[in-house]
Amino acid sequence: MIKRQAKVVVVGGGLAGLSAAMKICEAGIRVVLVSHQPVKRSHSVCAQGGINAAIDSKGEGDSPDIHFYDTVKGGDFLAHQPLVNDMCHQAPAIIHLMDRLGVAFNRTAEGHLEFRRFGGTLYSRTAFAGATTGQQLLYALDEQVRRYEHDGLVEKLEWHEYLGVVLDESQVCRGGVFHDLRTGALFTISADAVILATGGPGQLYGKSTGSAVCTGSAAAATYLQGAKYGNGEFIQIHPTAIPGQDKLRLMSESARGEGGRVWVPKDPKDNRNPTEIPESARYYFLEENYPLFGNLVPRDVASREIYEVVYNKGLGVGGEAMVYLDLTHKSPEFLDDRLGGILDIYEKFTGDNPKTTPMKIFPAVHYSMGGLWVDYESDGNGLIDHQSPRNQMTSIPGLYAVGEVDYQYHGANRLGANSLLSCIYSGIMMGPGVANYTKTLDKAPEDIPSSVFDQARIKWESRFKEIKSMNGKENPYSLHQELGETLLANVLIVRENKKLEKTLLKIDEIETRFGDLQCLDTSDWSNPTPSFINQLYNMIHLSRIIAKGALLRDECRGAHYKPEFEIVQPDEFDPHEYIDYLEKKSYEEVREEAFPPGHLEYMKKFEENNNHWLKSSIAVYKSNQPEISYEDVDASQVTPRPRKYN
Amino acid sequence: MKTLSKSEIQFLLLKLHSLTGIIPIGLFLVFHLGFNSLRTVGVQQYQFGIDLINNMPYLLWIEVLCIHIPILFHSFMGFYVAYQGKFNVFRYAYPRNWMYTLQRVTGGVVFLFLVYHIGTTLFPKMIEGKHLFEASPFLIGIMNEQMSTWSGRLIYLVGILSATFHFANGLWGFCISWGLLIGKDAQRNAGIAFMFVGLVLALWGVATMAAFALDPVSVEPVFSKGMSL
Amino acid sequence: MSQTVLIKIRRKDNPNAAPYWETFELPEKPFANVISCLQDIQKNPVNIGGVRVKPVVWDCNCLEEVCGSCTMVINGKVRQACAALIDPLEKPITLEPMSKFPAVRDLQVDRARMFKDLEQAHAWIDIDGTHDIGEGPAIDQETRHKAYELSQCMTCGCCLESCPQYTLDNNFLGPAVFSQARYFNMHPTGAMHKDKRLEPLMKEGGIANCGNAQNCAAVCPKHIPLTESIAEIGRQTTFHLIKKLFVE
Repeated sequence: MIKRQAKVVVVGGGLAGLSAAMKICEAGIRVVLVSHQPVKRSHSVCAQGGINAAIDSKGEGDSPDIHFYDTVKGGDFLAHQPLVNDMCHQAPAIIHLMDRLGVAFNRTAEGHLEFRRFGGTLYSRTAFAGATTGQQLLYALDEQVRRYEHDGLVEKLEWHEYLGVVLDESQVCRGGVFHDLRTGALFTISADAVILATGGPGQLYGKSTGSAVCTGSAAAATYLQGAKYGNGEFIQIHPTAIPGQDKLRLMSESARGEGGRVWVPKDPKDNRNPTEIPESARYYFLEENYPLFGNLVPRDVASREIYEVVYNKGLGVGGEAMVYLDLTHKSPEFLDDRLGGILDIYEKFTGDNPKTTPMKIFPAVHYSMGGLWVDYESDGNGLIDHQSPRNQMTSIPGLYAVGEVDYQYHGANRLGANSLLSCIYSGIMMGPGVANYTKTLDKAPEDIPSSVFDQARIKWESRFKEIKSMNGKENPYSLHQELGETLLANVLIVRENKKLEKTLLKIDEIETRFGDLQCLDTSDWSNPTPSFINQLYNMIHLSRIIAKGALLRDECRGAHYKPEFEIVQPDEFDPHEYIDYLEKKSYEEVREEAFPPGHLEYMKKFEENNNHWLKSSIAVYKSNQPEISYEDVDASQVTPRPRKYN
Repeated sequence: MKTLSKSEIQFLLLKLHSLTGIIPIGLFLVFHLGFNSLRTVGVQQYQFGIDLINNMPYLLWIEVLCIHIPILFHSFMGFYVAYQGKFNVFRYAYPRNWMYTLQRVTGGVVFLFLVYHIGTTLFPKMIEGKHLFEASPFLIGIMNEQMSTWSGRLIYLVGILSATFHFANGLWGFCISWGLLIGKDAQRNAGIAFMFVGLVLALWGVATMAAFALDPVSVEPVFSKGMSL
Repeated sequence: MSQTVLIKIRRKDNPNAAPYWETFELPEKPFANVISCLQDIQKNPVNIGGVRVKPVVWDCNCLEEVCGSCTMVINGKVRQACAALIDPLEKPITLEPMSKFPAVRDLQVDRARMFKDLEQAHAWIDIDGTHDIGEGPAIDQETRHKAYELSQCMTCGCCLESCPQYTLDNNFLGPAVFSQARYFNMHPTGAMHKDKRLEPLMKEGGIANCGNAQNCAAVCPKHIPLTESIAEIGRQTTFHLIKKLFVE
């Protein structure tokens, strides 16, 4: 008997998509790699700072267990622990693999990998390749996939967009519907499995650190077809971005990792050149408020502090909502070597030289911790069974999601330099499981009736016909901008229920106005407008998941901060007290005197809040609205406890 | 030794194009300019030099094998190479792009100049059968005549400047193409040094021209036909 | 009254259509770049004659000059549109698609040839497999520094657009590929398959077709020492040829 060669469609050519494609090819399975653009131009190139692995090359006593603890704690305990644990234990092997692929990582004098410190940890755990680590990792994977392309195992379909999944009568994924962005043709591809590695939804906010293709459209389209969407409300705001017209360019956390200090003039009216402002007139608010972690507090904390300083204390730079990120105390040679690339970017897009003038920065939307719900299978020892077909599978059988588009690994907040790791880890980890899934399938794609595919195609053909016939008054690009401004104003760092309710009404209004759009260009050849209108439709639905999830979650967790529901931590509180408290509680009634005054009350409130809210929010599409329910989180290894970084 | 494929032969030919520009053509140019500069010392010395060469054994073979065939090969390949490119120096007016453009332009100019130069010196000499000691008065006569008119002087000035530039810049290109000059600074410094070499060669040639133009003396054969040394 | 900026764009509806120029007048905004102007045209696609037209089509992605997508010819020179701030540009601004690649539409071109050429040049490292077999080879800091300079090539096409030897219809590989071959030949594992990368560079359209105009290094947005790579590949291929002719 000739064994049939399985075929898997991978949508997206960033780190997650390419690593999945590479691993699956290695198993001898054919891969069709679909990408909106040449894969080498994927958004992963924007990641600057580095990738985490607890290799402990500096003898600091770091270990994968500590990396695991930092990640879970950084994510406010909302991540499923077996996955995070497995990722952190695989991290050293992943760095070594990437090193073998030729990534030009920075080196020590002895020629080994160099590591630096990043936010949310006390250890030097971040491997880096100059200031373009994401680009370098992506290129290495792109090269390996090109090698498989050369060998005929990969077929690339660049300039193609994923529109939706093809489901058979038992709701199993049998392929996808694709849009040729050059010819405008719509067609289906049948496959044993489809993997979505389509990245994050930064474009929802109009301006973010995301790339132009990061619309979240693929995830939303899949949600509209019945897939579960998890933790949508957790959107990471990066504390340091460069203001701009077309996008907010990232200033990497490595700028702080290499000694960058964040400050504002103590006097908001101080209009002096920043280099002329003496130390005594500067307010180093992160260093003062968090003596232990200083400028390297996690991103949610840093963003909130900047927000607090600018909006509640009325400080800023020259009357504008910005703070300084200062590297001028470091030598130009040091900065060139360690941060060259990102400092060039700053100079290029602002005209100021960050080696001599402090940079002006402000927080910007950066990463979605939430995404398509995906499954996993624990091996019973707190790690992952790498052979399980369940790993990374969405709620639609045969449809997988990986990378930023999934909702795993980062909980309520992502630590710096963990995104590159989670993308490559999950892409590689899922490989064997996907291969096993293709072996267990009852039917080959050829055995599925062609009507299943025809119906899917016809549905999309009529949808695009409908879009092209739109002849109303609204401009789709302007409507998109309005959606972005709404989310920026109301679903950002500090969230209030009143504003969130209004946001949902505004989204309804935008959906109504969507019906009055004008399709500005109805030609077939290389016409992005109909495609964008379809994306906008998806973005409207995705923004609803985020806003509604945020409205319903009445607590503060990670990136989701609602002052109305903040449980204020006593100043002298030590997180270990909480572990004590839980232990004591299991034997007897805990007495007030066992802890410093106010602490027990705080811990009870905290426990109660966790019992209620330490759950993933799951959105399901029902009658044009996201219906949100809550799922327990596997917190079996590290007991969730209050976070403290000072 | 392996046999080469068709495309490898093309590669080899392009490499040889670069090489022949230096050896033997470039060497010949240096020798030729240097030798002719004897005219600046005096016409007798110059005549002595020409007589020396014209009495060399196997002269024709040497000329054909070491000069004419390499020049023809280099020219043919040069036109092929120039044909492949598309000038864009007005859009990207960088110094090196100017050099690239001038290299191709001067190549063409030198080719035309050589047609003229050989056609008015070597060819009449051969056609009229002026050999051994008869050649020098004949050639000196031609040069005196050519250097007496402004048009002749202009043609030679353009020819000499083009040839020396083409050689100096070609030397630089050769060093890169064969991988002798790698670093950015090394390339820049060598570029300057080679241009200096070119300038010296050009001055050498112009000085010889000036000697002919300022003092057009004709000479008699040292020995007449049929006599030997 | 607020300032406006004039942008002249060379448009083309499809690969077979005739190109035409269209001018747009846009409000000038602080920190605007060519991309934000094109985005403004999308939001109000009306040309200077007041005629409603189809929005201009162009490629872009990262908008921070690391993806290479938005390369176009701005005021006569090839560069990334995202890094082209409006303020310092001479007005009116002209935008043209690159001329060395097949036209797609408006400012879009098809750079597939660049990726195909990378495949030809064996631009990857042949690893045994992705399973965990420990650390990679140790690499000294100087080599890694050089390698990093080369590895930042984003396949944007600037070098090829400015290269007088690279044309729409020839098969010259061009500086980007030469530099990538050098990059992989520098790596301890990559060097084991050096010859596989040199052979394609010695074919028609290979390194010998370089004319040393050196525009590539002058326009490279990442300041990659492409001319050094060309010379280094010149050396490697020379040795390889000599080895082939006289040693093997």
